[in-house]
Amino acid sequence: MNDYPQVLFAGRRPGTTNFLAGYEAGGGYRGLRKALTMSPAGIRELVKAAGLRGRGGAGFPTGVKWSFFPEAPGEKYLLANGDEMEPGTYKDRQLLLADPHQLVEGMAIAAFAMQIPHGYVFLRYAYEECARNVERAIAEAEEKGYLGRNILGSGFSFELHVHRSAGRYILGEETALINGLEGRRPNPRSKPPFPAQAGLFGKPTNVNNIETYCNVPHILVNGADWYQGLSRTPEGAGTMLVGLSGHLHRTEVFELPMGIPLREVIEQVGGGVRGGRRFKACLPGGASTPFLTASQLDTPLDHVHLEQAGSRLGTAGVTVFDDTTCMVAATLNLARFFARESCGWCTPCRDGLQVVVWLLEEIEAGRGHAELLAMLRDQVRNIRGRSFCALAEGAMGPVGALLDRFGDELEDHIARGRCPLKR
Amino acid sequence: MPTLTIDNREITVPEGTNVLEAARALDIVIPHFCYHEALGAVGACRLCAMRITDGKVSGIQMACMVRAKDGMIVSTLDPDAVELRRHVIEWLMTNHPHDCPVCDEGGECQLQEMTIAGGHGNRRYTGKKRTYANQDLGPYIAHEMNRCIACYRCVRTYRDYCGGTDFGVFGSRDRVYFGRVRDGQLESPFAGNLVDVCPTGVFTDKTFRFKSRAWDLQEAPSICPHCSLGCAVVPGARFRELQRIRAGISPEVNGFFICDRGRFAKGSTNDPARPRQPRIDGTPAAMDTAIETLRTRLAAVVARYGPQSVALLGSPHASLEAAVLLRDWAQSLGTTRLVYTAHAEQDRAARITGARLERHARSLNDIRGSDLVVMVGADPLAEGPLLALAARQAVRGGGQVAVIAPQPVELPCRASQLILPTEQLDAALHCLAGGAATTLDATARQQLEALREQLAGAQRPVLVGSSARLGGRGVNTLFDTAEALTTPERTIGVMMLLQGPNSYGGAMLAGRGPNFDMLLDGIEDGRIRALVCLESDPIGESRDPARTQELLGRLDLLAALDARPTATVARAAIFLPTRTGIEADGSYVSNEGRLQAFARVMEPGVPLRDTSPAGHPPREFFTETPGSEPWPAWRVFARLLGRSEDLAVLRREIADLDPRFAPLAGIRPEAPGSRLTTTPGLPHYQLDREARE
Repeated sequence: MNDYPQVLFAGRRPGTTNFLAGYEAGGGYRGLRKALTMSPAGIRELVKAAGLRGRGGAGFPTGVKWSFFPEAPGEKYLLANGDEMEPGTYKDRQLLLADPHQLVEGMAIAAFAMQIPHGYVFLRYAYEECARNVERAIAEAEEKGYLGRNILGSGFSFELHVHRSAGRYILGEETALINGLEGRRPNPRSKPPFPAQAGLFGKPTNVNNIETYCNVPHILVNGADWYQGLSRTPEGAGTMLVGLSGHLHRTEVFELPMGIPLREVIEQVGGGVRGGRRFKACLPGGASTPFLTASQLDTPLDHVHLEQAGSRLGTAGVTVFDDTTCMVAATLNLARFFARESCGWCTPCRDGLQVVVWLLEEIEAGRGHAELLAMLRDQVRNIRGRSFCALAEGAMGPVGALLDRFGDELEDHIARGRCPLKR
Repeated sequence: MPTLTIDNREITVPEGTNVLEAARALDIVIPHFCYHEALGAVGACRLCAMRITDGKVSGIQMACMVRAKDGMIVSTLDPDAVELRRHVIEWLMTNHPHDCPVCDEGGECQLQEMTIAGGHGNRRYTGKKRTYANQDLGPYIAHEMNRCIACYRCVRTYRDYCGGTDFGVFGSRDRVYFGRVRDGQLESPFAGNLVDVCPTGVFTDKTFRFKSRAWDLQEAPSICPHCSLGCAVVPGARFRELQRIRAGISPEVNGFFICDRGRFAKGSTNDPARPRQPRIDGTPAAMDTAIETLRTRLAAVVARYGPQSVALLGSPHASLEAAVLLRDWAQSLGTTRLVYTAHAEQDRAARITGARLERHARSLNDIRGSDLVVMVGADPLAEGPLLALAARQAVRGGGQVAVIAPQPVELPCRASQLILPTEQLDAALHCLAGGAATTLDATARQQLEALREQLAGAQRPVLVGSSARLGGRGVNTLFDTAEALTTPERTIGVMMLLQGPNSYGGAMLAGRGPNFDMLLDGIEDGRIRALVCLESDPIGESRDPARTQELLGRLDLLAALDARPTATVARAAIFLPTRTGIEADGSYVSNEGRLQAFARVMEPGVPLRDTSPAGHPPREFFTETPGSEPWPAWRVFARLLGRSEDLAVLRREIADLDPRFAPLAGIRPEAPGSRLTTTPGLPHYQLDREARE
């Protein structure tokens, strides 16, 4: 069914998990073997040259992040962010269900590239099966000398542990995750200092998304040029796991080349809008990314083009809405999620998002008026860029797009005194 | 020292100053909630928004989170910043109840002020307000969570600064809850600070509940009288009642916080049992008459037995001015039998401290910045709680605390504990100084040697002792140890916990005079015939109360000046009521030798009581305020000495006559006070021997 080049999902078989034998048979741990022959700086340069960007939402170039990291030996930590909780995003779970060793290898390479002795895989409570998979993968890797003391005789040591968290959306924020791992309230920390300077237990810490680490072994084996060549657009690099959800025929995770046009994703991969209905809008990168409309379907899915289109690639969770969807109700649903997941630290997020929810509720219930619409605009303007961390900023993605791209639908709600799409 | 421009005005501030503080230095108040000088900047409330133009950090930023940089251009009036501030207030007010009329915070509420300052006057949100169930946090602190604006100051104070563990933040989103796991009295001895730091009415003083509006209170800067540390407090009175005490701000001493004893123990000011009426032989008398009677009866004793038959007993609790005039009065009577505490051993310890502290003197702020605090025999939570809080700040700043004591000492911070019986503390100090210390067992010696190494390597070490536990000998050894470990590069600091707020001042005045045990001997063998006690209760406070009581019965004349209903007051032939520190101006010399003044908060009088409808209007009318008889103690002695009864004049005279007290001349209660220079070269060892004889 899938003719796209498969890298991360190359060894994926429905219903089974690849452990050591299967992973090695598919070429696993060749990347680590190669990495150990290189210099740490060389690996960082290679990852930088490959153009790998973080898959956790922010899309920061991974090699650049690693190059800021202090290489001097000492207490340092490598964390994998597996607190996958964005609505519409469920790719890391599929990765860990398919190939947990891919993460272990990627983290071992990253640890070597930054000379980090300790690592934690941070998983949310719902991912118990994933946690067991990773634990087994760690045990197997230790057995074979891919982890632990003196990895493959290189003299480099790296210990990896699994941490199960109680799990809230805010833990996806790297400094909140660090607080959570320390056993504190997962409130984000102010930056600077950045985790690379003072992170877990005050020590230099590198945090990447699980998918990000999983890309690393393949870059080591096949090189930067190959990785860049996987992308359809020169702005992108590699493949990405795209999680489909919403009103589509197929709602699964697919590994697709970076830069694939949105239209192709929806019509070919996703099998088109369900029930023969028309496409109305989609979230291209998870719940915190601004809606795109039908006129933007030719946008290639990469960081640069989506930003030009006024949205973000985020975690590449594409949620599609058909033409029966009330965008006010859809946005309200998203806003409720973000308001509920606020950690309660800063005022715009804690109390501002609740006001946004109230405003959307009033408008959706037909109690809206012009003043409330103006107030909604005020909220977006004063929450965006003003909160402590990116949570409220993300929450304003769909709300801002609702105001910009579905202003007529909002006004229709107010003019009619009811939701025009509700029968 | 970066120079920046805020609202078109230039200012140069020390490196590391945040923009909010820099603006404050220009008298530009940037509204804020979560920022607090003692708790630092956390950027949670998002109220202190301003715009920075140009530079690496630019755009709308939080003033508390941005360090002032050279050439920075800041606008606090930028339209976007003003709009954000207005919205922050609007968001906070969505859930805040409009219960200001019944809220105790009203009138001193930061939220009220910021709501006005932020320009939010009309609440557009018409939805439901979030409500909470409140908790019973004990008899001192009222809890009203609906008023919470989630600035997190309370947890940062209670947990981070004060080290409490039974209070915290629960929940998330717009339902964060600040409280305990279940109802119950807050355990921290610093819990009362919640009342001061809370910017709204979530935590209010339960003992003060519904008593007064802040603007109706008579307040004045004062000094806490409960221990020797001299923390700044601001008592508030109304209707002749001391209604509440809040923390004063004194950067060198208590900083921003006080302990619960200082806040909630209101002393004798309101005590219904307080003796307010002068008495002669049990009969009420006018103040003037009582003073004259004291003068004539003492003159009779002097005439019959000579001036040395009169003994005077001061107090660690009396003001410095009263203590100095007591000395002057002793001189005018011709007696040298003058003592400043009924406890001979504490007396000796205080005098040695006064004589030897000099360059070793350290403030609480020095302790907060110390890298090694060694407490020998001291129990700060009992003897001076703010010292325990200062030690916690030292630990938070990366310092260490070591305790050597006869029993484990509870502290709100990590500390190593070496348990040694009281009689071995002296040997332990010798051991720290490098002595052989053969009386100690091997493990203790080993630990002490390790501690000695640590002391040698410490940059800002402080030895903390206690006059109560160490006594004269131990205190002397502690100073020997401090001297021995002092190097040309750095001096070992000392902080000695003393008996009362003016123990140090009394010790400076006592000089080489006798101690109270000697006075008792004098009474026993009949050399002493009269004793005047100034705010001191020898029966309750001396080392041997039974013997003291028996001996006081043999006197020809026992006179007492006090504000407390003590056993001594009950037996005194002449009693003169004095004012408390709430009712009189005065000053104390704290345990670090810091002279600090306190101001009169109110005039004395029996507190007004609410009357029942039947009792109103009052049936009896007085031209005098009931219970207003007490005088400041210093005024009684000024009268006896025939000197001016104007405190300003007296202070100038004292300063002129005794250069050690020179700062008294221009002293102001709102100023931080100054450390007095002690008499250099006083032979403490000689004093030590004398005191023992």
